[in-house]
Amino acid sequence: MTPDPNNDQTNLLQGTLDMMILKSLALDQMHGLGISRRIEQITKGTFQVKPGSLFPALHRMEEEGWLVSSWGESENNRRAKYYRLTKAGRRQLESETERWGRISLAIARALEAS
Amino acid sequence: MPILSRITNYLRNILAREKTDRDLDNEVRSYSDLLAQEKMREGISPQEARRTAILELGGIEQVKEQVREARAGAWLDSLLQDLRYAARMLRKNPAFTAITVLTLALGIGASTAVFSLVNTILLKPLPYSDAEKIVMPVRLAPPTLNLGYEEINWGLPESQLLIHQSNAFQSVGVLKNDSFNLTAAGEPALLDGVRVSAGFFPTMGTAPVLGRTFTTDEDHPGHEHEAILSYRLWLDKFGGSRDILGRSVQLNSSAYTVVGIMPPGFVFPRGEDMPAAFNFPRESQLWVPLALPATKIHREDPDELSVIARLKPGVSLAQAQAEMNVFAKTQEQQNPGGQGWFNSRVTPLARVVAGDTRRPLILILCAVCVVLLIACANIASLLLTRSLARRKEFSLRAALGAGSRRIIRQLLTESLLLAATAGLLGIVVAEVGIYLVKVSGPSNIPRLAEVGLDLRVLAFAIAITLATGILFGLAPAMGASRCDLVESLKEGGLRSSGSSAGQRLRKTLLVSEVALALVLVVAAGLLLQTFFHLLSVDPGFNPSRVLTFELSLPDSKYQDTAHIVALYRTILDRLQSVPGVQSVGIVKTVPLGGATDGSGIRFTEDPPRDSRQLAYSNFVVGSPGFFSAVGTPVLRGRDFLETDVLESAPVAIVNNAMAKKFWPGQNPIGQHVGLGSKRYPLMTVVGVVADIKHLSFREEPGPEIYVPFTQKSYPSLLTMQVVLRTKSDPTAMTASARDAIHSVDPDLPLAAVTTLDALVNTSMAQPRFSVLLLGAFAALALLLASIGLYGVISYSVAQRTQEIGIRMALGAQRRAVFAMVIREGIGLALFGIVIGVAVALAVTQTLAAFLYGVRPADPLTFVTVSIALLCVALAASYIPARRATLVDPMVALRHD
Repeated sequence: MTPDPNNDQTNLLQGTLDMMILKSLALDQMHGLGISRRIEQITKGTFQVKPGSLFPALHRMEEEGWLVSSWGESENNRRAKYYRLTKAGRRQLESETERWGRISLAIARALEAS
Repeated sequence: MPILSRITNYLRNILAREKTDRDLDNEVRSYSDLLAQEKMREGISPQEARRTAILELGGIEQVKEQVREARAGAWLDSLLQDLRYAARMLRKNPAFTAITVLTLALGIGASTAVFSLVNTILLKPLPYSDAEKIVMPVRLAPPTLNLGYEEINWGLPESQLLIHQSNAFQSVGVLKNDSFNLTAAGEPALLDGVRVSAGFFPTMGTAPVLGRTFTTDEDHPGHEHEAILSYRLWLDKFGGSRDILGRSVQLNSSAYTVVGIMPPGFVFPRGEDMPAAFNFPRESQLWVPLALPATKIHREDPDELSVIARLKPGVSLAQAQAEMNVFAKTQEQQNPGGQGWFNSRVTPLARVVAGDTRRPLILILCAVCVVLLIACANIASLLLTRSLARRKEFSLRAALGAGSRRIIRQLLTESLLLAATAGLLGIVVAEVGIYLVKVSGPSNIPRLAEVGLDLRVLAFAIAITLATGILFGLAPAMGASRCDLVESLKEGGLRSSGSSAGQRLRKTLLVSEVALALVLVVAAGLLLQTFFHLLSVDPGFNPSRVLTFELSLPDSKYQDTAHIVALYRTILDRLQSVPGVQSVGIVKTVPLGGATDGSGIRFTEDPPRDSRQLAYSNFVVGSPGFFSAVGTPVLRGRDFLETDVLESAPVAIVNNAMAKKFWPGQNPIGQHVGLGSKRYPLMTVVGVVADIKHLSFREEPGPEIYVPFTQKSYPSLLTMQVVLRTKSDPTAMTASARDAIHSVDPDLPLAAVTTLDALVNTSMAQPRFSVLLLGAFAALALLLASIGLYGVISYSVAQRTQEIGIRMALGAQRRAVFAMVIREGIGLALFGIVIGVAVALAVTQTLAAFLYGVRPADPLTFVTVSIALLCVALAASYIPARRATLVDPMVALRHD
């Protein structure tokens, strides 16, 4: 279960990947590649999630009950597995966002203070 | 995660594994397809797109493996998978599996069996409440006496003081063995029992199942006619009836009232559990009040009291010992001349009970652990070979996405599965071993009946199983996980670069195996020599065809010494005329029957004024015919005669050791000797006999005086041993001997009926047991080491087939090849032997206490064992060396 530090361009903080995935699924259901492209897009390329981290995270989050998956057709008629947020997933996204807000505020203050 | 969904996840992941796995596979593949499509849209060729997609993915199988590991219950899943795989591997190599499992099962079984002995005898508390608080202040003889043992009994005055003055003890019990002739309850029976003071039962802390124990009031002369019975005696003689309480029984022809019944199993003291010097009964069947008189009345009785005590809460052993040291100082001040006679050692009762078995047991436990270690080294070496051969398989697994930790885990699972199988089998082996020890081991192992598999023993078995599994599994697993993927996939076969490191490890293992085996064989060799030295020791008597039993006269019926002497005379006459009897005698203690009485002695009419200058000697009362009955040669002078009576001049016979010690270079015949007090007459020495062993074959003979029972002045004659030398099987004579005795007095029971051969056997049982076990373990170690050597050399030959082929193609003679292989084997063995000898020299020093007639660094043993080991090494390398000479250069050069 050791994440390879080179898997991500920036070594994502533990828990940050979860938040990114939840966020990217907030609007619509998506398949794996879609999720990683969406994360790339919303972070303007700062985060590139490789499948070695993405899939374990997806499956773990599904077991947690935050996501549900189903097979569907992709935009160009390929079978792909789509992930969708559950109610619990939405709640998790809210609490993660709130927590992240607190942390980043605290860090910003700490850095300004010196 | 809620517990319920966690469980569902677990179940889904384990039960529907194939479905979820297929799903996962589809998912990852579809991802890679989508990625490839993306790339194709950017204008890359389909083939190239697919390749870069998989490259970017980092391998489909690797991703799948990462997902699997992230899943709930992944560890359980992979464990099950590993177990299934391990079981398959073991099934596929039945020979390998059988050899390792059997080797290990024997090792684990033997260790567990030995540990169960150690557990019961040394670790398990005695079956009394708060047993660790019970101690025995054991009185120690002044070291100058040279008794061959150090424990001696307490006298009346000291025990009185201990009861009333000690502060360290919550209660003090004084006990003295005695035998009781139970009449008027079926056949007369001579029962072993003890007289105990009121503090005895509170000290033991065991409550009776019926009735009560003694009160302080009953512990006074005149009130002591009460008895407590053992559970077995109650069942055997009184049918276990509850109205036994308050009933009167006839003991030694006096009426005793039964006041209590002890619980089953309470037979304290049990002779075999206690130091031989105390002469405790085999198993106590009844207890009566000791009723110590305020002053010493029976002046002629020797001091024969033992003391047990219960430590006050919070008082340590050291504090109690300190108090006893102060006690000794005070006593020495108050008793001038008693210097050195009041020392004691406060010993936990459990330690007293374990007694002499403690050190042999620890020795045997060490030996068995060494065997187990050698077995582990062997198996590690075997596994190493296998893991080298399986290199390709590991590389393939790594290529398919298994991390190095995953491979180590799988290999460890395999080793642990092997160990666990062996452990289960080992428990069976241990059960068999314990049974064998119980059936054929020496009967004088203390608490043998309690030995068995309990939780602690099982925990030990599980612990050593796990430890061995990890021990022999770790090295090969580490080796396998370090392999370089691409290199070994390319090379494939046996000769990959890592295997030379593996072979080095195997050689190290082998050298330590040889060294350990040498240490064990040397130890066994020394003990074996000790054993044979003991067997060839002249015990001073001839044990074959000698029957012996104990007669105990009730003091209510026989009080007058003349009456007693007359009775014994009649008995001797009757026995002598029994057909088949060669010679007959009576004696206070039979050879190897325990410690004799002892006394201070004087050589002139007036004893030295300072009693410290009294010499000390064993003191034995015997009869004419005793020496010829036990086969002890009269070296000078004569045996006792019928004419040595009270009215004639007092005579004595001394043993050789006494003659040598006190009259060196003089004729002992005609010398005078007497007991330490003027109240006893000075006797004339009329004969010298050989030294008789009393406690063991090891003992150094001390001075010993024999006096005829017809002239005896000390101690009481009420209990005597009868010795019969017979013309044929002695045990067959028991009935006619009993008839002869009963024709004199039908109420006299025969007790402790045995033969001198049996006594000799009992005395040799423990050394025989140790030497047998250690010998077996040494043989096992030797066998394992030779198997190990064979394995390493064979493997080395197989590995060097190509090299050997080249050498032969270049003109090397078969003889040279043969010598080369043998040299390798001998070299390894020599290395092991040198280390082993160094270790053994250190280890055998600690064996000194077990040895007799051989030095710990006995050069003969060391040289013989080293040569033997070298021969074994030669034999083990012979087959591989032969095989090496048969290498066909052409085949070898093509050999992959």
